[in-house]
Amino acid sequence: MPTARSLITIMLAVTLLSACSQVRPWERGYLAKKEMAWDTDALESALNDHIFFSKEAASGGDNAAGGGCGCN
Amino acid sequence: MKPKPSRSLIALSTSALTLPGISLADAPPTQSTASYKISNYQEDDLSRSEAPFGDLDRYDIDVHQFKLISPVGRDFSVNIDANYETLTGASPWFTSVGLDGDPDVNLSGASGIRDKRTEVSIGARYYLENGSIGSNIGYSEENDYRASYVGFSGERHFNNDLTTVSLAFSHSADDIFPTDAERFGRVISESKYSSSAVFSVSQIINQFSTIKTAFSTTEQRGFLSDPYKLIDFRPDTKTQLAWSNSYRRFFVDTNAALHLNYRYYHDDFGISSHTIDTSWFQNLGRNYQLIPSIRYYSQSAADFFTNIDDFLKPLNEYQSSDYRLAAFGAISGGLSLVANFGNWTATLTAERYVASDKYAAYNINQPSTALVKYNRVSLGFDYSF
Amino acid sequence: MPLTLRRLSFQAMGSPCEIQIYEESRISAKKITQILSSEVSRLERKYSRFIPKSFLSEINYSAGNSMGIKIDKETRALFEHALSCFEQSNGQFDVTAGVLNNIWDFQNKIIPTDSQINELLPLIGFNKLQWRGSRLYMPPNMTIDFGGIVKEYAADSVARLARKIDVQYGLVNLGGDFAIIGPQPDNQPWPIGVADPKNRKALIAKIDAVEGGVASSGDYERCFVHQGKRYSHILNPKTGWPSAGLRAVSVAANLCTVAGSIATTAMIKEESEGIKWLEDSGLSYIAMNQSEEIIRNGWQKPSVTAE
Repeated sequence: MPTARSLITIMLAVTLLSACSQVRPWERGYLAKKEMAWDTDALESALNDHIFFSKEAASGGDNAAGGGCGCN
Repeated sequence: MKPKPSRSLIALSTSALTLPGISLADAPPTQSTASYKISNYQEDDLSRSEAPFGDLDRYDIDVHQFKLISPVGRDFSVNIDANYETLTGASPWFTSVGLDGDPDVNLSGASGIRDKRTEVSIGARYYLENGSIGSNIGYSEENDYRASYVGFSGERHFNNDLTTVSLAFSHSADDIFPTDAERFGRVISESKYSSSAVFSVSQIINQFSTIKTAFSTTEQRGFLSDPYKLIDFRPDTKTQLAWSNSYRRFFVDTNAALHLNYRYYHDDFGISSHTIDTSWFQNLGRNYQLIPSIRYYSQSAADFFTNIDDFLKPLNEYQSSDYRLAAFGAISGGLSLVANFGNWTATLTAERYVASDKYAAYNINQPSTALVKYNRVSLGFDYSF
Repeated sequence: MPLTLRRLSFQAMGSPCEIQIYEESRISAKKITQILSSEVSRLERKYSRFIPKSFLSEINYSAGNSMGIKIDKETRALFEHALSCFEQSNGQFDVTAGVLNNIWDFQNKIIPTDSQINELLPLIGFNKLQWRGSRLYMPPNMTIDFGGIVKEYAADSVARLARKIDVQYGLVNLGGDFAIIGPQPDNQPWPIGVADPKNRKALIAKIDAVEGGVASSGDYERCFVHQGKRYSHILNPKTGWPSAGLRAVSVAANLCTVAGSIATTAMIKEESEGIKWLEDSGLSYIAMNQSEEIIRNGWQKPSVTAE
């Protein structure tokens, strides 16, 4: 279990990142590409989440839990 | 060589950056998209030496997924999702010691499982000046399980839209009413409740890369055991924590993007896990994309996991031989091919997953024999209009 | 189906406009250009000073109203950019200078008297606008004119919208202000030319661009000559007179909005200051001075004349 201190260090690092380079408006084109999205295929991620939820103990992390299932 | 941009140019560019038509901040989609995906999931059969009695077939599942997302007016979007699954097969009923002293898995051949699952959910999202808020509700039903859930989420952009913070909550209420309950002495009807919250921060690092970190916590209470296992008794509350991190990076020279994700998980059943996965999105010409991916997962065992059901243990002590509570590791690899033509996109995916105690990063005191191996293939279509 | 160049020409913001995209299907192209030209119409209906019901007109009617007027996010961002232009130009690019349009008539060559100008000068000054949260309080009789900002913003906004609906190759042209959606197929650039102010059929420069925007400011139609000096239609908020510096400026930058701000500011300044301003920006520019000389940096001499 990560300690409180390591969590705080990481959150500070993320905050400091807001001081990093101003990305010029014309340079944001790459970030807008479909392959740069956090979730490139919603149905694929939903399917994988569903499978891993049934076959492994871990769940959650990135998205709030959706539907339950009696998967066993 | 061009001189460096002047201070004035930088100042004017930065203020132009805040203009909505130019910034990347969230806005409702400009088009509607309908998606359909059909998948087949097939677990490897057990070998006779692993399962001396009963069925060898494990799960074979066909999944149909539908999704429709549409803008409504200037500030809203709505989405409708529906899933339909049919499954056949069997799941481990109990484990016993075989003649060779190693645990054997006994599948529930007698009842076998032929089940259907249907799920429907709808959601809406409202886009504001600096962020958005959304809500969704859903319902799922199988012949032995029913669940309803509701969720809310909100996100806000800061710092010229370079930073985004989001918070989401969800709650679900499930009912379990196992089949053949009386015949096999199973519980007749039980309930389970689950609430979770996720907090995340994402940041644009530079013109090519972004990162995100997210913390989630889930609280479950009620009947958490597996009613189909001959012996399975788990605590009636469970607290889960997960911390995930994601990185996206675009490579201009190769016209490809790299995805890298890591998640750490821990719960109060005593299970910890690491998950790391990576994908490479390679653009091929104007219309195609090839995406190889690989994933590594490893978990430790629950405090009360036992790989051999102990029929003599007092009934008020926790135990379960459910392999999902065992220590194991899993490696999976997949390949997707995406084709885009006008308003249509087609995606073909194949994936192989192997769980084994050989892959575990954590110590294994009691390896489970019921670990799963499966193949999955999917074909999906998206249409924008 | 092969990619075909599709064009849609229309009139908007007082100028001839054109959207060019490469699209296989004629039907998709029609839909796409409809979506894009609606975005231009939306911005025109919102910010035109010639439309009595536009939001800009509402803002101007609210001058002197103690209740002020609530400003939405998009308009606030335009004001922020206008502030940036005001600061970077040392007050010469000022969206509150529009009130001078009431006393100047370039078409009929009506020149106001000094006392008429002096009466209006106190009503000019971006720094005189009052803000509280998202409400703007304009002192009585002040007016806002987003000329020099909104047409260029519209070009960028349309280009971004086009990219969002998956147009890969295209160009937006709103009366000479260009924003590139994407290059021509096979990463070929769009050749953008600048017409000679003396002879609209001739090009004085050409630039090949694969991304970004080009904006031009010039005295083509609305200039006038007074006592031997040539005046543009851009009014200098400090003197109350139109500027008499460079005759035409075109700038290429990574956004049409930015190119427009740099070009407009260069036109307001005195000739030599204008050139220095363009040089300092580090951008590719072309300018014509009072003596009709062409100063070029980064732009090529054209090999053919305009059609």
